[in-house]
Order: sequence, then structure tokens, then C-alpha cells
Amino acid sequence: MTTESPTTQPVPSRPRERPARSVLIGQAAFSLLGLYVLYGSWGLGLWTSLGPGPGLFPFAMGAVLFLMSLIWFVQEQRHPSVPKEDVEVSQVATVIGSLLVLAAALPFLGFQVALFVFLMYHLRLRARVGWVKAVVISVLGSVGVFYLFTLGLKVSLPVASVLPFSLIGL
Amino acid sequence: MDVFNELLGGFATALTWQNLLFAFLGCLLGTMIGVLPGIGPVAGVALLIPLTLNMDATGSIIMLCAIFYGTTYGGTITSVLLNTPGEAASAITTLDGYAMTRLGRAGAALTIAAVGSFVGGTVATIGLVAAAKPLGALGLLIGPPEFFALVTVGITLLVALAGKSVVRALISGALGLLIAMVGIDPVAGAPRFTFGSERLLDGVSFVAVIVGVFGLSEILAYRASKMPGTVHSPGFRSLLPHRTEWRRSAPAMARGTGIGFGLGLIPGMTGSVSSLLSYGAERKFSRYRDQLGHGAVEGVAGPETANNAHANGALIPLFTLGIPASPTIAVLMGAFLQQGLTPGPTLFAENSEIAWAIIASLFIGNVLLVILNVPLVGLWTSILKVPYPILSALILLFMVIGAYTINFTVFDVFVMIAFGVLGLCLRHLDIPLAPMVLTLVLGPLMERSLRESLEISQGSFEVFYTRPITAALLVLALVIVCSPLLKLRKPKALADEDPES
Repeated sequence: MTTESPTTQPVPSRPRERPARSVLIGQAAFSLLGLYVLYGSWGLGLWTSLGPGPGLFPFAMGAVLFLMSLIWFVQEQRHPSVPKEDVEVSQVATVIGSLLVLAAALPFLGFQVALFVFLMYHLRLRARVGWVKAVVISVLGSVGVFYLFTLGLKVSLPVASVLPFSLIGL
Repeated sequence: MDVFNELLGGFATALTWQNLLFAFLGCLLGTMIGVLPGIGPVAGVALLIPLTLNMDATGSIIMLCAIFYGTTYGGTITSVLLNTPGEAASAITTLDGYAMTRLGRAGAALTIAAVGSFVGGTVATIGLVAAAKPLGALGLLIGPPEFFALVTVGITLLVALAGKSVVRALISGALGLLIAMVGIDPVAGAPRFTFGSERLLDGVSFVAVIVGVFGLSEILAYRASKMPGTVHSPGFRSLLPHRTEWRRSAPAMARGTGIGFGLGLIPGMTGSVSSLLSYGAERKFSRYRDQLGHGAVEGVAGPETANNAHANGALIPLFTLGIPASPTIAVLMGAFLQQGLTPGPTLFAENSEIAWAIIASLFIGNVLLVILNVPLVGLWTSILKVPYPILSALILLFMVIGAYTINFTVFDVFVMIAFGVLGLCLRHLDIPLAPMVLTLVLGPLMERSLRESLEISQGSFEVFYTRPITAALLVLALVIVCSPLLKLRKPKALADEDPES
């Protein structure tokens, strides 16, 4: 509990709030994208003898994107919005990284091997799930799901194209 | 009588064992999606579209509709048991639902919610049956100009979904339209923004975009602090509400049905608005309003009935006019289009059998939800006990399968990952995602119908103001666009509280 009177303490001058850097980067990215679309759609042709050409709609959207980004920039300069809480960069990096590796490996290792490794990484290394539980879930999630889809739902999933997995039909 | 016969025909199709199984699976999966943290109804429905591509159109849409309304009930379970809404429309239920759990009445709250959902859903479906024929008759009057005007009305609804900033909503809407423009131009056949890639000639896969933007980004944004607390499964005996609880719930359910159904008909109003207004109505009209917030059964019955009446009522603009009222319904519309069905007036003219079978399945689905959810509450609570890292790994697995099976290529998995990152950035920048999905689905339809209209009129814009239906719809679109100026938008307090905008 404070005993100080609010009148005795000088009120610190509040520093002028500025837009968050991530917001400025976002606005710049959208403006540039808008300009690129305007340029690209102009080349496609905006109008033909029968009416709108293939470039008209993208041109209009490019213009909306560019103009709205500018208006947003001005709005932010006047009243900076409160930035949302930061994301956990390590979580984003590991999830995205593992998905990229999985997508790249799928045509070579096939669904069963690639998904088994993917699930083991997430369950055993990231979530610290016990070995037995991690292996059981990974086998069910890879081999089990593969047969559920290919035999049960008649939806084909990729098989391995590299040795030795391709030899045993994984 | 004609309507009754067609509905009976719909029941005959919907009651085949295959379609019953699809409805059952849809309810099961929908409830699971509603319960699971980290995956909302939009991503959930999108994720399961590829699995339904091999099915016939009727079975596929029956299953996806069941998933859609199943999620509204699934969200209730976490609201009541965990004080954490599984999806936005159930957020208000946490107030009294969780209070009932603390009073040992969790089972009764879940049963009341299930019965309320059944009542609301069934009444709204009866409304759909009544509206289908007269509005469906419009199908014969619809040409490309009228269709363009209808789609324009749908797109202008992004004003209603704008949330706090119209500027950011327009950025989101423009992004959705631009994504939809990638690929071969539907009229002239010119490639647009394909960067020389053959894979992009067919465009960017709608499902991969939705799963990435709504599903993957949700997992990427998930923080450990959001982990749910301890879950206690209610016993079977406690599932039965007392007689007084039934008596007190009845008027709340009646009010909830009226509010949910009425607002469901207005495109742009989300289920959250219905449940919030229903709770407001209970605060004003309930005899036990002083108990609200402390475990009053009206606080569960009203909003839960309203959000299910809304979910089913919102299918009316989709089925009869082809206007998606919410992001989830826009995804559902995408599924219709993938199956070669165009929702709207032409649906009843061209595919009347399928349309009536789907409507009949809505009645069946509402019955299935009550049968399925109340006794299976133990199963749902056991899902909530699975640690989040295991759940997220399994959700990622299904996202990869969902993205891969659209075209059976890993390219779509990369597309999904890229749009997951974009979705995360948009969330961080506080840009609403709902307008993007709306324009992603409606954008190509709008462009195609505009260009077809102008080809018919040989480039003359007269076609848009000399045809009465087209002109009336375009005026309506103009009113919607100007609604912020005319103060016709939903009240600011509601817009701020509405997490779906």
C-alpha cells in the first residue's frame, strides 16, 4: 500500500507511442505487394472489346491493397494500436521446420517412414512423452493411418521411392 | 404438399445407411473439432473436405454440414467443463455453464445445452424448409447479371465481418481475392500471377489456403499458458436435469430460438452475436435474472439454443441465395463448389434431390447430436485430458494428409505451410481472417459472372440496372457498404465482443 500522495509526485511525461515495428513491416509488405499486383495486372490487359480483361479484377484489388495499406499507415501514426502478444519464435520455428522437412521427405521416404519420424520428433523430443507411448502413437499415426486411408477410405498416400524402404513396400 | 413430398423424398435419401453413417461421422468429428483446442470450425471443415472428395455429392455435403453444426455443440463442452470456450459462439456459456460445474451440475448443464441445441436447430431447419421453395423458385429467374449482384451482396458483407477496423478488413478481403485470382483466367484463359509455375496454372488450392491460414496458424500461435486445467467428467446420473431446471429452461430456449434463427438469416451476423444477444435477453426478461452468472440454467439454455438455431438458420441464405453468412459457411460453400454444386436459387432448380436430402439430413443430424453427445460426454472429456503436445502433433498429421490429398502432391503441403505463416502474421497484425475466406470463395464467382454478364450485353453496363432483381440486389449491396455511415452495423459493444469478426 502506498503512502505517497499523488500530488507530491511529479507526473512523468508519457513518451509518445510509436507504431510497433512489426506493424510497419506489415504495412510496407502489403504496399509493395499492392504495387506489384498493379504492375502485373496492367500487363494482363484491363479491358477488351467484350468487357473486363483478365487484369481488371487483380488491378482493382492491387489498388485496394495499396491504398488501404497507406490509410492504415496514417492511422497508425496518429493512434498506434496495441501490439498483440509476441509469438513463441522457437515453437514457430520448430513446427515450420519440421513440416518443411516432412514435406520435402514425403516423396522419398513415403508416408509411413516420414510420418513416423515426424511424430517421434514431436512426441519424444519436443513433448517428452515416454518412449513406449511415443512409439505406439507414432506407429498408429503413420502405419495405422496409412492403411486406414489406403484400404478403408481408398485415398492413396505416398510410398517410399528410395532403398531400402521401397523394397519392403513402405 | 409439394414441399412435404420433396422433404419425404429427401428423408428417403438421407436415411440410407451410407448417408446415416456420414451424418453420424460428421456429428462425431464436428463435436471433436469443437472440443479440441487449437483447431476451429473453419479449419476443421476445410481439413475434412479432401476426405469427402471421393464420396458422392450428397454424402459429402451431409457429412460436412454435420461437422459444421457438430462444432457448435462441441464448443459447449469445454465452456461448461473447463471455463474455456471450444469455439467463439460458446464463449458466453462459460459464465453460467462453468458456475454450474462448480455447483456439481455440469451434467445437467450439458444435457440442457444439448436439448436446447436440438430445439434451436430443428426449428431453424423447419424455417429452411419453409423458405426453400419460394426462394428456390427464383432460380429460374437467375442469369449471370443476377448472380453477379447476389455475389456482390455476399462480398459486401465483409463490412459486417470487419470487427474493429474496416481498413484491415479490406486488406484481408483484397488478399483473399488476389489469392483466388492466381491461375488461369476463367474467361480469357490467360495465366495470372503463376510465376511460370505449371503447378499454379490450376490456381492455389482453396483447402490448403484455409487449413494453413485458419488451422496451422492457430497451432503456431498457441501458447503453453492456454493449456486447459483439470477436467472432471460428470457421472451419468448427474446428466439428468431436475424438473425445475427443465421448467426454467423452456422460456430461455424459446427466446434463444427466436433470436438465433432471426439473426442467422442476416448474413454477416455470427453465432457469437446470437449467443451474446440471447444472454442479454435472459438478463432482461428471465424471472431468475439475479442468478445469472452464478450458475443459472437460463444462462446455458438461452445462448446454446441461440447459437445452434443460428448455425442452422444461417444455412438458409446459403441454400436459397448462395450467400455465405459466416467464414465456416463460406468454407462449406467451397465444398459445394468442389462437388460441382452451386448453392443458391439454382440449387433447387438443378439439384433439387440433393438439396432436399441435405435438408432432411439436418433434422437427422440434430437428433444424432442429442443421442451422441449426452451419453458420450465421458469420451469428450477424455479427449480434453490428452496433453496438448500430443494433440497438436496429431492435428499436424491430419493437416498434412488434408493438404496432400487435394491433388496428391506435396506442393499443396508447402502451400499450406506458407499460408500458415501468412495466417500467423495476419493474426499478429490484428487483421481479421474472416473477410479473406469470404472473398476467396466468392471472388472467382463474382469475376466470372461479371464478365459473362458483360459478354451477354456486349460490354454495356445497362444490364445491371435494367433488370429489376439485379438492380434491387445491387442497391442492397450499396446499403450494406454504406451501413457504417448509416449506423446500421451491429452495435460497437457487440462488434468488440465478437471474436468471430
